[in-house]
Amino acid sequence: MLQASVLHSESPPAQPVVQIDGVTKLYRGGGGVRALSLRIEPGEVFGFLGPNGAGKTTTIRLLLDLIRPSAGSIRIFGLDSRRDSVAIRRRVGYLPGDLALYERLSAREVLGHLAHLRGNVPWSEVTDLAEQLDLELQRPIRTLSRGNRQKVGIVAALMGRPELLVLDEPTSGLDPLIQRQVHDVLRAATSQGRSVFLSSHVLSEVAEVADRVGLIRAGELATVERVAELRQRAAHLIDVRYEHEPDRETLVRLPGVQRCVIEGHEAHLEVAGDLRGVVGAIAASDMTDLSVREPTLEELFLAFYDRVESH
Amino acid sequence: MSSRTSPAAPRLRTITARSLREQRSSLVGWAGGLIVFCLVMLAVYPTIHGNANFGDLINAYPEPLRKIFQLEDYTTGAGYLRTEVFSFVAPLLLTLFAVLWGSDLVAGEEERRTVDVLLATPVSRRRVVIQKWLALLVGVTALGVLMELALGLLGPAFQLHVSWAALSAAVVGSWLFALAFGTLGLAVGAATGRRGLARGLATTLALASYLVATLSVLVSWLQPARNFSLWQHTMSVDPLGTGFHYWHLSIVALVTLAFLAWALWAYDRRDLAT
Repeated sequence: MLQASVLHSESPPAQPVVQIDGVTKLYRGGGGVRALSLRIEPGEVFGFLGPNGAGKTTTIRLLLDLIRPSAGSIRIFGLDSRRDSVAIRRRVGYLPGDLALYERLSAREVLGHLAHLRGNVPWSEVTDLAEQLDLELQRPIRTLSRGNRQKVGIVAALMGRPELLVLDEPTSGLDPLIQRQVHDVLRAATSQGRSVFLSSHVLSEVAEVADRVGLIRAGELATVERVAELRQRAAHLIDVRYEHEPDRETLVRLPGVQRCVIEGHEAHLEVAGDLRGVVGAIAASDMTDLSVREPTLEELFLAFYDRVESH
Repeated sequence: MSSRTSPAAPRLRTITARSLREQRSSLVGWAGGLIVFCLVMLAVYPTIHGNANFGDLINAYPEPLRKIFQLEDYTTGAGYLRTEVFSFVAPLLLTLFAVLWGSDLVAGEEERRTVDVLLATPVSRRRVVIQKWLALLVGVTALGVLMELALGLLGPAFQLHVSWAALSAAVVGSWLFALAFGTLGLAVGAATGRRGLARGLATTLALASYLVATLSVLVSWLQPARNFSLWQHTMSVDPLGTGFHYWHLSIVALVTLAFLAWALWAYDRRDLAT
């Protein structure tokens, strides 16, 4: 906290890359976002986390000026999202969540076309990206798998080295191997100091690349946290199997244990924060099996709301 | 892991070029169909040409029918083309093509959701509409030119002789009628994002336009309405017989530009692909 304020006083107040102020966009059939405000600083990787239908795609399409807010304002690079949309898009790379490409063209034709429209994209940059992702450019889009289509979309988003990347669920529905390829390429892109706005419904994906994360549910931004803090606060779930029936009182007294359920020879623990104390104590007992798992997104939300209520 | 890409960037520099490329096979199909249609119409001509019985047959038709289908001097080249080609089928064939394609150009991109990658690039929505309309213009013009060449060049082989000027006037009339309703289809698609609605509305209005103009010859209460019919200003003025009517053509051209202006305005102020 002290460190943060020192940093702040030393550096000049940089203009945020994205500044969303009180934006509302509601749909008749439900969905949309309500009074949303958030900022993304230069060079920051911002994760936008929420279940499907929470308003992530709505927010992203508002940034791109594909849809317009009914209230509030959006500034990107200090420019007005609607009036200066073309100037903004010159500096933004976008991967749609529901990616659709020109089915009758080849990947090469699609990327060539988009590169021409973007302007100043050397073709070698496109072929380099395609090679990194192991993407075959000659094939028609309609013959490509989900993963390969997504790769075409990612090359399209990265070409021209945009200052801000807006990625809507970039690895959703991809097999783990391709997910890793995509993460590698994204990490390389972010290491060059670009700002990224990344939406996902998977905590682990956001945690892997983002600095800060905003939780959105039912169209409202629940909280914005640093990823490290979020992870620390979020409970881990530990299942332990013992040789004999464990003593509940002993387990409850271990550091960070928030909940404890005993079922025969098994104990199910919910542990917040540092796991070392708990795992150390368990390891020293007569346990025979141990599994630790990450909280799911829903469990994360519950942890957040529990905290809000207890305050 | 050999080099799998050629060094040069592919062409497709503009949205117009890409839209034409996407429709390449469809365009080839329409061109083929149009040539076949012209050939069939021409092939029938020698049996009618100079056959006095056909003159008697036509004179035996009731007058209203003769008026609607412009059944006059059926045995001359221009008369035959007027009745068999330009009284209904050729202009409406071009119009069908223009409406189907015009409706798809802007709205189809939205329905297929490719509009997101398109508008991720720094192009304005107005540029999208203009370039899409240029694709429509190129497509309809190409088919118009093909029709003119097919009838003008192949006609003499079937003893059908018609002046290039008269033929051009008829083709330009058909072309402009088709372009107007193709632009309407594009505009409705741009304003609503709905391809089916654009297609239906433009087709219905094109047919209504044809019916009002042709039936007003017989039905007196329709006569005030016929000035609102674009068919009246393009085909009812008998371009084959009387040549270009620049005043009438400029009315249709202005209406077409008004449709385009509406498309530009409506597309710019709307939420896309919601």
